[in-house]
Amino acid sequence: MLAVRPGVPQPEDTVQFRVSMEMTKLDIRNYLERIYNVPVAAVRTRIQHGANNKRNHRNQREKKPDYKVAYVQLGQGQTFQFPNLFPEKEQDTETRSFDDFRSKYMEKEKQKGDPRRGGVPDWFGL
Amino acid sequence: MAVLRARRLLRPVRRWFSRAEPAGPEPPPAPLYPPVVASLTAKSKAAQQRRRERFKQQVHAAATVEEKMRLYGKLQRPKYMVYPQTFALNADRWYRSFTNTVFVPGMAPRAAAAAAPGAAAAAAPEAGGAPGAVANTAVTTEPAAGAAPHLDMGELRSLTCDALLQESFYQNKKRPFLYRDKDHTPGPFLTQLVSTLTAFLSGHNPLLAASSLDLKPEVNYYWHHGEEVVVHGHRKGRVDPVRFQIDDKPHLQIRVPKQLPEVVPLEADLGDVPVIDHKPSKLPLFKKQYENKVFIGSKVADPCCYGHTQFHLIPDRLKRTRLIKARLEDQIEVVYRSNGIASLFAWTAAQAMYQGFWSEADVTRPFVSQAVVTDGKYFAFFCYQLNTLALTAETMKNNPRKNICWGTDSKPLYDVVEDGDVKGFNDELFILDLGPAILLDDDDYDDDRDDSYYYSHL
Repeated sequence: MLAVRPGVPQPEDTVQFRVSMEMTKLDIRNYLERIYNVPVAAVRTRIQHGANNKRNHRNQREKKPDYKVAYVQLGQGQTFQFPNLFPEKEQDTETRSFDDFRSKYMEKEKQKGDPRRGGVPDWFGL
Repeated sequence: MAVLRARRLLRPVRRWFSRAEPAGPEPPPAPLYPPVVASLTAKSKAAQQRRRERFKQQVHAAATVEEKMRLYGKLQRPKYMVYPQTFALNADRWYRSFTNTVFVPGMAPRAAAAAAPGAAAAAAPEAGGAPGAVANTAVTTEPAAGAAPHLDMGELRSLTCDALLQESFYQNKKRPFLYRDKDHTPGPFLTQLVSTLTAFLSGHNPLLAASSLDLKPEVNYYWHHGEEVVVHGHRKGRVDPVRFQIDDKPHLQIRVPKQLPEVVPLEADLGDVPVIDHKPSKLPLFKKQYENKVFIGSKVADPCCYGHTQFHLIPDRLKRTRLIKARLEDQIEVVYRSNGIASLFAWTAAQAMYQGFWSEADVTRPFVSQAVVTDGKYFAFFCYQLNTLALTAETMKNNPRKNICWGTDSKPLYDVVEDGDVKGFNDELFILDLGPAILLDDDDYDDDRDDSYYYSHL
């Protein structure tokens, strides 16, 4: 059971989970109500087919695993919004100066040219 | 040469002595090229606009209402099936947004105004008065300053109790089959009640006398609301209207030849329509493609083309006990409300379509109908006024009108039936709600009026 951020926007009272394929709607309802005391009004599930189109270096098809998605509607008027797990960090003075150093270093590295030529300029050659 | 010069001098002669009508500005000569308009078949926005205008002109110019409805629903595409009796949570809020409806709790104002004199008149003679008929009561005569014949509330009450006892006590019925409780007792009770009360009150109410009672009729309506982008298929990426279809089967229905009078003016604003940003499929609502049907219960040629009252029975999977067991007590009222709003919208909109109105030709007068939603013991009353049919994306932009639905909470009619007696009969429910609910009728009912109009179709 894994709460996930919905790919398409869901109504406020709906939480989206990825659950094990063997879990049923009743199992999900009991799990949430008894273990986490979450009031569940309705549960709807579907099975997402994992794509089988990519091919590896041997031209064999690589299957992405199937998984079950559960949409749980909360009871008693509760709402849920998936939190932002990677908020923007505030920039301190120290980190800003480190970023400047790094960007300057990267510029120098770019100007050097192909490292396999051993410092020989680009215009030298046939 | 001289002749020619003379002729040139003579030509521009103005005849002062004769009053010739000055010729007006000469009409411009007929254009040599055909009119420059957008193509009909090109893959361009101008061509699409021209095709849409052409379709609208075709529907406007249709000779008969049947032809209009045929062209309106000719193109079939996947559409959302809206079920009035649904298990979906908070469905009434979604349905209000689909149909542009404002929900006002309580009885409709006209019914409330008529309830006061009705209650006063009834309370005096009979003990506890009795609610009029669950059917259309002609208690309109009550508010008419007592000049009209007084309605026998006791008689109506005894009729109601008789029907109830007959179905639930006197008749020896076996146990109902699984999930067939609805057809076992409440169904026959409602049919019996409505038919007896309609017959009893038709003497008072000429509209009822000319009405038509349908048993298990079908009501369908198809409409567009909002826009969406097509997701899969060969039409992927195009902007399409969101299509809806209601296919409803009320238990009973009363159709009348004359429209019920309006409750509030056409442009009245009694509240806000909920705006829901999500796709309807999140309700959950599912799509299917089939016939786009618009039907009120009878065909267009039927003289009883206006609706009076519908009676709905709550199905067994949505009954009170099941919802309480699933700890969804707040959804009990939602079930009644969504049923009332969806069914009445479909019925009134189909009635409006039968008169030739559609989303591009909006209604010029409001269409009013009522409904009673019950599960045999608990009754909820609804009154719907259709003010606008313009629900498509472009017609809704500048449309200030909203449809209005008045509705009550579900209240019990009686407590229990035992030993041949109906215990706890809720007279208050009848006086205040059932009476006025069915009471909605012509305000200007007049004894001396010529009622031959109502019988002209017979």
